[in-house]
Amino acid sequence: MRVFRKAVRDNRRAWLGWIVALTAVAAMYASFYRSIDNPAMTDALNSFPQALKEAFHLQDYTQPANYFAASVFGLLVPILVAVFAIAAGVKAVAGDEEAGTLDLVLAQPVGRVSLALQRFLAVAAAMVAAAAVMCLVVIALRGPGRFTALPPGRLVAICLQLALFGLLFAALAYGVGAWTGRRAQALAVSAVVAVLGYLADSFFTQINGLKWTERLSPFDWYLGGEPLKHGVQWGHAGLLLGFAVLFVAAGTWRFNRRDLSSS
Amino acid sequence: MADIPAIQTEALVKRYGPRGTTALKGLDLTVSPGEVFGFLGPNGAGKSTTIRILLDLIRPTTGTVRVLGADPRSDPALRSRIGYLAGDFVADARQTGRELLTYLGDLRGGVPARRIDEFAARWDLDLGKRIGSLSKGNRQKIGVLQAFMHEPPLLILDEPTSGLDPFLQQQFVAEVQAAARRGQTVFMSSHVMSEVQQTCDRVGIIRAGTLVAVEHIDDLRKRALRKIEVHFDTDAPVVEAAGLSDVVVDGTVLRGKLAGDADAFVKALARHHVVDLISEEPELEELFFTYYRHEEA
Repeated sequence: MRVFRKAVRDNRRAWLGWIVALTAVAAMYASFYRSIDNPAMTDALNSFPQALKEAFHLQDYTQPANYFAASVFGLLVPILVAVFAIAAGVKAVAGDEEAGTLDLVLAQPVGRVSLALQRFLAVAAAMVAAAAVMCLVVIALRGPGRFTALPPGRLVAICLQLALFGLLFAALAYGVGAWTGRRAQALAVSAVVAVLGYLADSFFTQINGLKWTERLSPFDWYLGGEPLKHGVQWGHAGLLLGFAVLFVAAGTWRFNRRDLSSS
Repeated sequence: MADIPAIQTEALVKRYGPRGTTALKGLDLTVSPGEVFGFLGPNGAGKSTTIRILLDLIRPTTGTVRVLGADPRSDPALRSRIGYLAGDFVADARQTGRELLTYLGDLRGGVPARRIDEFAARWDLDLGKRIGSLSKGNRQKIGVLQAFMHEPPLLILDEPTSGLDPFLQQQFVAEVQAAARRGQTVFMSSHVMSEVQQTCDRVGIIRAGTLVAVEHIDDLRKRALRKIEVHFDTDAPVVEAAGLSDVVVDGTVLRGKLAGDADAFVKALARHHVVDLISEEPELEELFFTYYRHEEA
């Protein structure tokens, strides 16, 4: 596990920065709940057009589950998690390969599969750590933030799905990068999937012919089953994990067979 | 064990991509254990391609490779017995030299910290600094250190002294000579002929993906043309001798090129009054150039 430890060590500053930032964003939204949970705010929200409310998942905010799904876990956090995951996933193999620094490591007695998987495992650990820290902080804020109506079990459920959501994008970026060795391609493919996934889960739902795309969106697999109300959605969790495993397996398979690009 | 070649390739072909260029066109190469082998050729001849295949960074299209008796593809553990240095040595810039060397040492199964410290002291290298803050030359020193530090049976060096100043190149030569004395095999590509002359037992010359010659450095030296210049006390006579060519007479001075044994020439000169005789050390470089050019035709 030397490669794993080294990957964590080399990235510790960047990853810690991401985890702190993500947690800060979630904590900030969570502490707004007490100022939003009042009749005036409810009236204001009710006056928004229906289409806008649907696009932004604005529902009855007096229910903490609704507010949390739309704000704390709904807006910025999944987008940031996707960006974090993609950045870390691209770097795991493709970034290093393009920088020319992978040559030296692979000239050591380390198998390619072992190296690649240990690097991905480090990224996966970062995703889990980010979701776990966020989860603990939000749970700790339940009292002071006056959302004790939201059971900790439900918060754990959504954070688990968030971790899997991050894992999916990390796996996609890692997989494309390991397959091609090209940073730009890995970034582009992952970013396109993230943007299309986001649109499919928000604005495409307003267009009748495109409504079906929602079911293919990783954003829907993360939040669509409303884990804050109904607990872990195992079908969605399975889809997130299944595709993540597929991307990692495919990328690693190809990485083990192809030529390393020379710097 | 001594019979197993350190490096052996047979009919090695490497084509990049389905319609890409063919970098190696059936390379047959054998490097014996304990020798220092110089791998020479013009840029793009296939030197780095060969070296990257030996390390399993890229895979041959066809042909076989054996390094220290093992197949690089199926035996990653083999690489703990290899020290590899690329001319454009790059490593993650944010770590210190010591962090990198400790990591690489661990991957190879451990390298005594004392040996690293001694090496760093000998090379005047500060391992506490981040690699990104080092000059090109100092970064390359780290590269030299990581290749040599575990005293591997086989050193594979690809243009190892690029970026080193002449003083450090000389220090590098001493390091290779010491490794050779310890019985380590060295496989080295280089453009620096002085370094090749001082270290190598044999050289192989690769051109356009095939090995065009393998020679002992001493044989090369014998065959190499020496520039000679003879000063006479009167007008220079017409001298003919085996091995002498390109004779130009300029007053009392005779200039020419001499290949191989000098005996016939010296005996021919003996009949005249020779004021001065200058014979330059054979320039292997020129010999290599003739090799490179011949194949171009």
